[in-house]
Amino acid sequence: MKKARLTKILVEGNPALLTSLAIQVEATVSVQVEKQPAPGLVMVKAKDSISMNPFYMGEALVTECTVSIDGVFGMGVIMGEEAERAYQIAVVDAAFNCKLPMIEDWIPDLLQEEINIQNRQQEELISANRTKVHFDTMEDYNDKS
Amino acid sequence: MGYVAVTGGRTAIENANKLVHSYRLKDAERAIEVKEIESQMRLLVDRVMGEGGLYAPEYAALALKQTEGDVHEAAFLLRAYRSTLPRNHYSMITDPGEMRGIRRISSSFKDIPGGQVLGPTYDYTHRLLNFDLRNESGAVEQFLEDFALELDTEMDTPSFPKVMDLLREQGLVANRKIDEVEPFDITREKLAFPAPRSARLQLLSRGETGAMTALAYSSMRGYGAVHPTIGELRVGYSEVHIPYPFADEEEDSIYIGELKLTEVETVNSFTQNNQGDVEFMLGYGLTFGQNEVKAIAMAILERSLETQGQSPTQDEEFVLLHIDSVEAQGFVSHLKLPHYITFQSMLDRIRQAQKESKVETGSKG
Repeated sequence: MKKARLTKILVEGNPALLTSLAIQVEATVSVQVEKQPAPGLVMVKAKDSISMNPFYMGEALVTECTVSIDGVFGMGVIMGEEAERAYQIAVVDAAFNCKLPMIEDWIPDLLQEEINIQNRQQEELISANRTKVHFDTMEDYNDKS
Repeated sequence: MGYVAVTGGRTAIENANKLVHSYRLKDAERAIEVKEIESQMRLLVDRVMGEGGLYAPEYAALALKQTEGDVHEAAFLLRAYRSTLPRNHYSMITDPGEMRGIRRISSSFKDIPGGQVLGPTYDYTHRLLNFDLRNESGAVEQFLEDFALELDTEMDTPSFPKVMDLLREQGLVANRKIDEVEPFDITREKLAFPAPRSARLQLLSRGETGAMTALAYSSMRGYGAVHPTIGELRVGYSEVHIPYPFADEEEDSIYIGELKLTEVETVNSFTQNNQGDVEFMLGYGLTFGQNEVKAIAMAILERSLETQGQSPTQDEEFVLLHIDSVEAQGFVSHLKLPHYITFQSMLDRIRQAQKESKVETGSKG
């Protein structure tokens, strides 16, 4: 699974799932914290659709953490003040980088969580779509009075 | 006269800090929760994040609580806080054109791909005070329950292709791609004029809503050349990715969350290109959160700064150096600090001038 996809599931998914995955790793192998969860900034580069060039629109607060399992690193970065989740994402990431056997068992749960995220986001979009305007053409009006 | 350093007021300042704290709380039945501000003062939180240049809804809400709702002070707190943090990452390019949209309208075209989706807006509400909001106990849960029941899950989800692509495809847009590879960063580099386009956009993006609205309004009223129509205004969520440092594959990135953004593209007066064809010029606005007036004002000012002329909004230095919330409020507020020496010096000069004037008058008489 590509990192972009995995991390989206971990960041947007149910925190309980993330916690359970991290606990499984901690129960199986020794996790070394390389960099404690700490707040930091990400400068957001946005595309200016007129010149088609990027510009820096501002920064986002993130919490980031790095761990290692047997010398293999894992990284967790998540928007907001989220020390626990940043650590847990790093642990799961390191487990994937180490190719721990348990990750094969996680895939169905992760894919299900991905569907849950899509459904949740879809709900908001559906509620927005209820506000779509349906134009009715008005009758010709020719006031000669 | 030389400067004379003075000290004092320490106890008074400490007591003033306590006093303002007491004014924040003395009539409160209970201290307002930060979470309540974050969820129910949504647009205010968005504004503070935009003007503070830091996307952090919880901290923006905290800043608003701490400052009793003073937007300038709250933005100042966010700016000050961000200066204490390391910046370890730059995001991949976030394209608002691909956002998960919850609102998208165009005042230029009636029929647009995906339709006009009004989304969450007060644009079409009566401006009448709703006294029912004074007591909402019980009504909140009921409303949310009813609202959820109304949703038809079989309904389509909207997709929002760019409206301006319609004009681009027909060759009616004059703005051309410019070769500015690495954006300018106003937080790291000293700004010089003329500023690169990326620096202008960065400054405008974290500009103060009121100042930008006033300047944009002046341009539309005649003290300027830009009075556009809105090609497209969209609000939604854009994903943010950063490069993954331990990547095997070069292209790999990690997802860190999403930003709520407002993006505006305006259609302005047309111009004639080198081939003699007439084309529209577009303006661009992008802000954190849902802040539509600011995004429109940004598009007007951005476009205005691309034109030549004598009006205030065509003066790059004038616009860009006066729209920053922290700088403007800081400079105006500093007048409250002691200026005893400055003023004493003025007094001395006026007294001296009067004395000399009397001597001169006396000698003539």
